[in-house]
Amino acid sequence: MSLAIVDVREWQNVLDLRTGKKRDDDTPLIRMIKSVLTKHPYPGDIDAKSNRWVTDTSLDLIDKYDPSFVFLSYTQQYFSMRFTQLTKAERQQMCDAVFAEVDRFSKETGFLTIVIGTGDMIPVVGEIDLSRLDGLAINSQWSTRYAGLHGISDKDKKYIGNIAEIERVVSKAEFMSLFKGAPGDAKLLPDFLAVAREGFSFKAPSLRRPVMIPACNAFIPVSTTVGDVKSIIDISQRIDGYLKNHKVALIMVEGIGVKDFPLPYKRCSNGMGWYSYEAGSSQYLALSTGKHQFFNYPIGSKDYMEDDEKAEYPFSGYFNTIPDNTLGSRFDGKSIAVGNRSMFMHTVTGTDISYECFARNLYNQGCMAVIHRQNKLCK
Amino acid sequence: MTCTFCEWRCELDNGRHGVCRMYYEDGGVVKERFPNKWCTYNAMRIESLPFYHAHPGSRSLTIGTAGCNIDCQYCANAYIAKEDPKKLQASMYEFTPTELVRMADKMGCHNIVFNVNEPTVSIPTLLAVSKIAKKAGIPMGCLTNAYTTEATTELLASIFSFMNISLKGLSPDFCRHYLGIHDSKPILRNIKRLAAITHVEVTTPIIESVNDHEIDEMAAFLAAIDQEIPWHVFRLLPEYKMKEDVYPSIESVNLILEKHRRVLPYIYFHNFIGSEWVNTLCPKCRAIVIERFSLGCGGDKMGSYHCQDNTCPSCGYKIKIHGQRVDWNSKEAVL
Repeated sequence: MSLAIVDVREWQNVLDLRTGKKRDDDTPLIRMIKSVLTKHPYPGDIDAKSNRWVTDTSLDLIDKYDPSFVFLSYTQQYFSMRFTQLTKAERQQMCDAVFAEVDRFSKETGFLTIVIGTGDMIPVVGEIDLSRLDGLAINSQWSTRYAGLHGISDKDKKYIGNIAEIERVVSKAEFMSLFKGAPGDAKLLPDFLAVAREGFSFKAPSLRRPVMIPACNAFIPVSTTVGDVKSIIDISQRIDGYLKNHKVALIMVEGIGVKDFPLPYKRCSNGMGWYSYEAGSSQYLALSTGKHQFFNYPIGSKDYMEDDEKAEYPFSGYFNTIPDNTLGSRFDGKSIAVGNRSMFMHTVTGTDISYECFARNLYNQGCMAVIHRQNKLCK
Repeated sequence: MTCTFCEWRCELDNGRHGVCRMYYEDGGVVKERFPNKWCTYNAMRIESLPFYHAHPGSRSLTIGTAGCNIDCQYCANAYIAKEDPKKLQASMYEFTPTELVRMADKMGCHNIVFNVNEPTVSIPTLLAVSKIAKKAGIPMGCLTNAYTTEATTELLASIFSFMNISLKGLSPDFCRHYLGIHDSKPILRNIKRLAAITHVEVTTPIIESVNDHEIDEMAAFLAAIDQEIPWHVFRLLPEYKMKEDVYPSIESVNLILEKHRRVLPYIYFHNFIGSEWVNTLCPKCRAIVIERFSLGCGGDKMGSYHCQDNTCPSCGYKIKIHGQRVDWNSKEAVL
């Protein structure tokens, strides 16, 4: 059973991750995790100390749990660039600061570190508003390049066809064929997927408007420490191999791509054909599982339909199962994850212990630690 | 020309737009500057707004416009409510009332809830929406600060059949410093009136050492209106001008609330992840009749609904519920 320990500052609660029900468990591991949560309150998504929180928390956990595999995500610069008007110098300063944190982690732990940039950000050139269709367009503020189209009329098709900022419209059948979906995979897909041209953003029905969005990152940078990999799905197997002889840290640096990646790197493909991952859980899962993620929680789907009272894992965002075959779940040794990328670290990494900020739309509500396995003792 | 929508009673002569910056005077009539313009439309669980005793389990189309008539120091939506409404217009959506109601249908929503800013700043548009929504059988609800004139309070009740009113504090000092208004008297008057004619839930954000000493007085005020009024006591999530403030102590606030639960059985304490005080207990036998998860600010969710025909399954006591429990996907549109 997986446990969630939520910390909302000066108050903690232990919950069953699957059912969301309160638990009274009190083991040395839980006490250790609670103490680390208490020691490292989350500063906030766009706080300048946010990335330092990732390093400090992970170093503390390493000291207490002695893992051989660490999965980190540094994201403050991504949130800041996405929602704040920054000068080029300010962006560079943030880039320097996050890699200083990566360097600090690397030097203090001596782990073999594999660093991945999730992709470049570019300014929003313009918005595409599909709110007035006869049918329904679904997209989110976190996925601005793709919009799912449901029940669109002929008039809608004509209207969409005349929008120059839309690069292509892909039918469900084409999508299934391109990405070799199995029959059951079509269930959640939208009727059509609209793809915006680079720099254009489908206007999301949410309150915060982005000022920068991910570029069409066909390739992302991977530090040369991983060796030669062609695709994002080749990385996890390589890490499995390294873990036989090394302590390994996989470090995701959000919002940084090949243009600004300061370490020696190789380019690896970040999708397939015209489809590239935007920074988010699908990209992490592709990396962690070594398989493309086109059909689980697909973009543009009416994912809110799955969020009824029967849905399990109420504290896991839109995930209602914990994905299997992730890096952490495959590894027999001890593993941890720490990230300030919202509440999906425990789903996409599968590590024994994960620490993540519990922030929604940049509101800082505290932290959550998840224990997937309790059978590996503390140091 | 005086605008009489809210208690500021602003003069709109000479091109002035009032405290909320949303109205103007035209030929002796108060008109909206930006009718039919919306900052958002989203499908959300009604429990997350929060409404715990109205249309349980339903999917709400949440909407908002721009502007507000009071100046809360801790506003969670300041980037909409405090921004100059004119500056926001380029990024707003435009829907006629018919289009908005159609959107609720397309998104499989059972009701429409105005929850981002203050509905009082967009009364004519909301009146128009409510006419169409009523015809379509879609109830409307809202979150409001209730700093409205008596006439507007009646208008709000004609638009919205369920309301969550923010009772932020009582003392004139608190009102002046933290809300930018003179006092809470109009709000108290309106809570009393609205609770008599429509479904009302009340929300109070608690700021440690600032308004926690008023909890007893607020509880007494609510109990005098209706002992079964649902009261959402929020642990303040410091935002906007109070971002650096401390997060209030959960244990000490709950200690104060606990003694009032004997009189006010529907006191909830939430706005933080994993709260244990979000379930509805039967006032008579204390059985859990509705279970919920607290996912923090704007994220609550119903877990299980045990009531049978809105009564306690253990003792048959009638639980205060506005509307009926509905299935989340029961209105999912076939487009």
